[in-house]
Amino acid sequence: MSNKSRRQWLLDAGFGFGWLAASALANAQTHFEPKAKRILQIFTLGGMSHMDTFDYKPELDKRDGKPFDMPTFFGQAGNLYKSPWKFERRGQSGIYVSDLLPHLATQADKLTVIRSMVAKSANHMPAVAQMNTGFILSGFPAMGAWVTYALGTENQNLPAFVVLPDHRNYPWGGTLQWSNGFLPAAVQGTAFKSAGDPVPDLTSPFDQSKARQFAATLNRSYAEQRPGDTDLDARVRAYELAAQMQLSVPDAVSLEAESDATKMAYGFDQPETGHMARRCVLARRLIERGVRFVQVYHGASGTDWDAHGDLLGNHGKMAREYDQPVAALLSDLAARGLLKDTLVMGVTEFGRTPVAQGAGKKGRDHHPNCFTCWLAGAGVTPGIAYGASDELGYQPAENPVTVYDFHATALHLLGLNHEKLTYYHNGVRRRLTDVHGHVVKSILS
Amino acid sequence: MSTRFLFVIAASLCAAAEPSVEASAILARRCASCHNAKAKTAGVDLSTREAAMRAGFDRIQRRVQLGQMPPQGALPAAEQETLAKWIAAGAPWTQRKWWSLEPLQPAKKSMDAFIAEKLQAAGLALSPPASRRVLIRRASFGLTGLPPSPEEVEAFVNDARPNAYELLLDRLLASPRYGERWARHWLDVVRFTESEGFERDEPRDHAWHYRDYVIRALNRDKPYIDFAREQIAGDILNPNDRDAVIATGLLVFGPTDAVGLTSAVERERDAVREDQLEEMTGVVSQTFLGLTANCARCHDHKFDPIPQRDYYRLKAALAGVWQPFVDPASTELFPGGRVLDAAYDARVAAIRSELQAVEEKIARAHPQRLPFAGPKPLAQWTFDADAHDHLGSLHASIGLKTELAAGHLNAAALVTAPLSADIAEKTLEVWVTVRQPLKDLVSVFQIYNRSGYRGAASDGIQFAGGTNKQWRNLSTAGFRTQDVKGAKEEPAPGDTIHIAITYAKNGAIAIYRNGAPYGESYVPDAGVSGQLQTYFAGDAVLKFSPSPAMAINEARLYNTPLTASQIAASFAAGPAPALPAADAALLVQRTQLLQKIDTLPKPERAFAAVPRHPGITHLLLRGDVSRKAEALSPAGLSALPGADFKLAVNATDVERRRKLAEWIANPDNPLFSRVIVNRLWAHHFGAGIVENPNDFGVNGGPPSHPELLDTLARELMQSNWSLKSLHKKILLSTAYQQTSNYNKEAAATDAGNRLLWRFTPRRLEGEAIRDAMLAVSGMLNPAMGGPSFRPFKISRPGGSYVKYEPIDSDDKDIQRRTVYRMNVNTGGDPMLESLDCPVPAVKTPKRPSTTTALQALSLMNNALAVRLSKAFAARVQAEAHTRDEQVNRAFLLAFGRLPQPHETESSRSLSLQEICWGLFNASEFVYVE
Repeated sequence: MSNKSRRQWLLDAGFGFGWLAASALANAQTHFEPKAKRILQIFTLGGMSHMDTFDYKPELDKRDGKPFDMPTFFGQAGNLYKSPWKFERRGQSGIYVSDLLPHLATQADKLTVIRSMVAKSANHMPAVAQMNTGFILSGFPAMGAWVTYALGTENQNLPAFVVLPDHRNYPWGGTLQWSNGFLPAAVQGTAFKSAGDPVPDLTSPFDQSKARQFAATLNRSYAEQRPGDTDLDARVRAYELAAQMQLSVPDAVSLEAESDATKMAYGFDQPETGHMARRCVLARRLIERGVRFVQVYHGASGTDWDAHGDLLGNHGKMAREYDQPVAALLSDLAARGLLKDTLVMGVTEFGRTPVAQGAGKKGRDHHPNCFTCWLAGAGVTPGIAYGASDELGYQPAENPVTVYDFHATALHLLGLNHEKLTYYHNGVRRRLTDVHGHVVKSILS
Repeated sequence: MSTRFLFVIAASLCAAAEPSVEASAILARRCASCHNAKAKTAGVDLSTREAAMRAGFDRIQRRVQLGQMPPQGALPAAEQETLAKWIAAGAPWTQRKWWSLEPLQPAKKSMDAFIAEKLQAAGLALSPPASRRVLIRRASFGLTGLPPSPEEVEAFVNDARPNAYELLLDRLLASPRYGERWARHWLDVVRFTESEGFERDEPRDHAWHYRDYVIRALNRDKPYIDFAREQIAGDILNPNDRDAVIATGLLVFGPTDAVGLTSAVERERDAVREDQLEEMTGVVSQTFLGLTANCARCHDHKFDPIPQRDYYRLKAALAGVWQPFVDPASTELFPGGRVLDAAYDARVAAIRSELQAVEEKIARAHPQRLPFAGPKPLAQWTFDADAHDHLGSLHASIGLKTELAAGHLNAAALVTAPLSADIAEKTLEVWVTVRQPLKDLVSVFQIYNRSGYRGAASDGIQFAGGTNKQWRNLSTAGFRTQDVKGAKEEPAPGDTIHIAITYAKNGAIAIYRNGAPYGESYVPDAGVSGQLQTYFAGDAVLKFSPSPAMAINEARLYNTPLTASQIAASFAAGPAPALPAADAALLVQRTQLLQKIDTLPKPERAFAAVPRHPGITHLLLRGDVSRKAEALSPAGLSALPGADFKLAVNATDVERRRKLAEWIANPDNPLFSRVIVNRLWAHHFGAGIVENPNDFGVNGGPPSHPELLDTLARELMQSNWSLKSLHKKILLSTAYQQTSNYNKEAAATDAGNRLLWRFTPRRLEGEAIRDAMLAVSGMLNPAMGGPSFRPFKISRPGGSYVKYEPIDSDDKDIQRRTVYRMNVNTGGDPMLESLDCPVPAVKTPKRPSTTTALQALSLMNNALAVRLSKAFAARVQAEAHTRDEQVNRAFLLAFGRLPQPHETESSRSLSLQEICWGLFNASEFVYVE
């Protein structure tokens, strides 16, 4: 059997959620020795401004208020607008981080900042879709689904790909953003709800112990009479796993056992940080339990980093929610030794324009031509900034990194060749990176 | 089972192409557009080995190595190497004609003989015939998607007639449930989607007509050739047939990027439209031809004989098709869908022309009012009897809600005809009468470009209420609005105020109140065409917004910024005096006509293709909208017969789609019949003769029984394209009627069962499982057709997009078959999703079948499953007396058989509901064999 058919067999045979039972098998699926075993992705929805966070632009300060000709999404380009936040070199690495993110600034030496990201769409939903799936059209598998398809899980009792949406709402596109696309349903992301059952239909509404035994009897004898049809055995096993999951998921999502010190560090106690703090701790707990891909959203359609009219107010508020929990997460992961084999990805939809949007307004429009993402953890060189934007943050000046490159690099760190991780669908051997993408070798440690 | 087909795919992917095939494919792909038998550019023809030899292989290789050929640029190194090796090996020419593009082969044998022959060759044989109990369950689910009732099972098992099975098939095919079942298969292929996707995901309220159309067409056994043609061009071929118009929905169910299509950036709009057409071209070529023509958008198809040019020609045939959506740039507004009642538009037009005549008479009774104190305005509205522009053509038509009194417009908002010339420098002027104290923001008079394309900016006159209490320039999202620091005021009811705003060449905006400058003028730093906003001919309109707080006495538009003294003079001269109302009879007549339009019954709409002029299609280098190459006329794929449509590059949509429909749905097109035969086959046997029903190209792999496919394709044509006859033929085959028993030896030879040594057992689709639960529990609401049921909580968080959260209830509508569930992009039911029901926007010719713990959780705990298991228990309690009879009844309903002793035994200590729940969770319930 080829790798692909064996993987497919394992998927279909229903080990756990449809992924692999043992990590030994999972490793056999990589194309080469991986640096990272899993990914924790933190998504700032709405478009985090690069020139107000990680991309210091002294020239923008100088030319504040001067005209600059550029087309913008809403067609209402104003004049150049300097960042209202001060920049400083941070830590031993000397990476620039603005005062907007004072906590994350203390973790600068752990960060690999990419300041020359390029995306395809200036429009929210397609932009989120591209960061998740590589494509701006919907219907393609999310990166977490690809990774699950390739590597399976290390924990049978939890989904391999877990999404922690913002407490306020789902992102643009909702469940499409963690869809399996054309891959088998088993690899789709499972969004943990912040209230009620974290996983759909987790809780049994009545005592099923006797009824389950009855069903198991029927199913075992049905399977025994049909030897060779492994799906039937898989079904029996799926029910056993479902029962285990009913215990393991509540345990994973319970934050009771976390120490007061941890809760304080993440910011459980403050109204602004409380929700994001809980998601970040939960993300860590899932990572600890072997979940392959965890996606944490900060911001939701309606309440996000989309600072059209009021950069100070919008980014100020969003950053206060985001900064401390994410900084605490990085420091916590490092302290627990999890950064060694976990790749943390700080991503967003696109950056924001160096010009203000509209007259006398102090907001910025969407800007996919150039923006910043960051990485931390397994396999990447910490404390460096890679790529650069031009003097105004308008376009990449050196080493542009497309979303395809970004994905190719992340897959590479997981031991996967982005050109070989393919799935045949309607005539095309589909890839996360379409027909593009180069691994950004310079940032690999 | 499901592992099987994937294994075969994997195997076919792993098989390396023969080098000789690969090399000749390179010649075909890279060289044949010039060096073919017809063009023979520079005397070189590379279409056959003989011709290529005349050109000389050494010469070919040299020119390629030197990068002289192809002229667009050197071949990639890998291709050069392939060619070199091949030539070194003597250039063996084994380019095969691809089987699926060749004409149908003549029929020689029966269906059973084809299958037996292949099995025999592999040392295998058919399994024994399945029992009648198995067979009726298999055929019932297969044809109707529902389990047979216990009575139907017993009747069939005991039916002594020799043709009992054939009669069973006739009954199932005549059932309206057949159309519901097979419509779902078709809806998967054509990605039937009832919300627009992308950012907003607005519901498509009128899309359900298409689903009903498919069900109707299948139940009436509409000839497949007509079914296909009308889905491509029904509105053109049969414009007066509702169904033919509805059918074109197939073209437009792709996602609508409404935000991208109205972006301010032209390139973004073009790119979005191009993606949309690629999606549309993809669905047409995959659905009807089984070819992935859309793969040739950026380059010649990597595997199939589809040059890039062919893609653009095929796309050109569809380039006039738009989705129904509110497009401010177009005068053709189709909010939500196309009007199905063909006479409606004509009725409205007739009334409108009567109305126009009356309005002209009214206008003549109100001549223009001169002289003016300063420059002559471009337009003047006095609102005496109407909203006519006395000076030009910027009329606004009044409606039933319009209130005019004593030369004042009191209600409601009116929009004028579009400008006939661009306007940049300008003055807007109004006299208003205050009717109530001004508490809130009041917009009065504005000018704006309707198309978001040119930026959403606008300008106008506005009173900022709240604490501001000032006049200011109105603009979209306030981007051109600044506080001019004019005096705050609290006008009293009855006050008449004169406001003028000038927009000067340098961008300066100045406001005047009652003839005097008001606050400071300023230059906004935002505008689409610089700081002075241009409003475009044919696009920009003016809008009057009277309100309970403020009436408009008169409005004027100038194409020049008036000076302070001109404005003072105009204020001093005042508005035109109110005239007595025009002939009262005319006004009554007008109101009656307006009422007539308003009371016409609202027409039904369907989410179907909206035609526009297609424009000219260009080949796009690398598929990039900014890199246009030559113009191309619409045509079919050149590898298939009859591909030349003989149309000009500027042909109309009518010409294009008519040709396209006739070319695709054509007996001479070998793919057309093969593809549909294979789809039916694949559903009945669990795998197609061609593994991927949407890909009859090289990637789709070779067919398992090519002659059989052709035989069935011919028989389909001979039966006047009757799908029901085809179903019957397939189900009457010995292969379909055999058992599904596993056979280790046979599996060792043919694990995938492609040769059909047994009937492949399989798990039912999510819809069939849900429908079976409803049927077995007695809760199924058999109502057919009509708007989809919406088992969601629908909300608009943040206002800009629609959120669908699945819910369950015992509402009667929700107990309908799953095919009637609204197919929105999000809001998927966790149970259906866990059972591999696809996201509707994904074209799904074949579903995967997975088994997961989440699926188990859903079947265990999903609100619907639990609720229906209770209903199931209540049903058997009502239908049988003793406990044993009840349990027997439950088994008969769920499995079509009585419990075995050990099963009865293990159910002893359980409540009826526990038993029913257990049956729903049994493999036997969700599998057919």
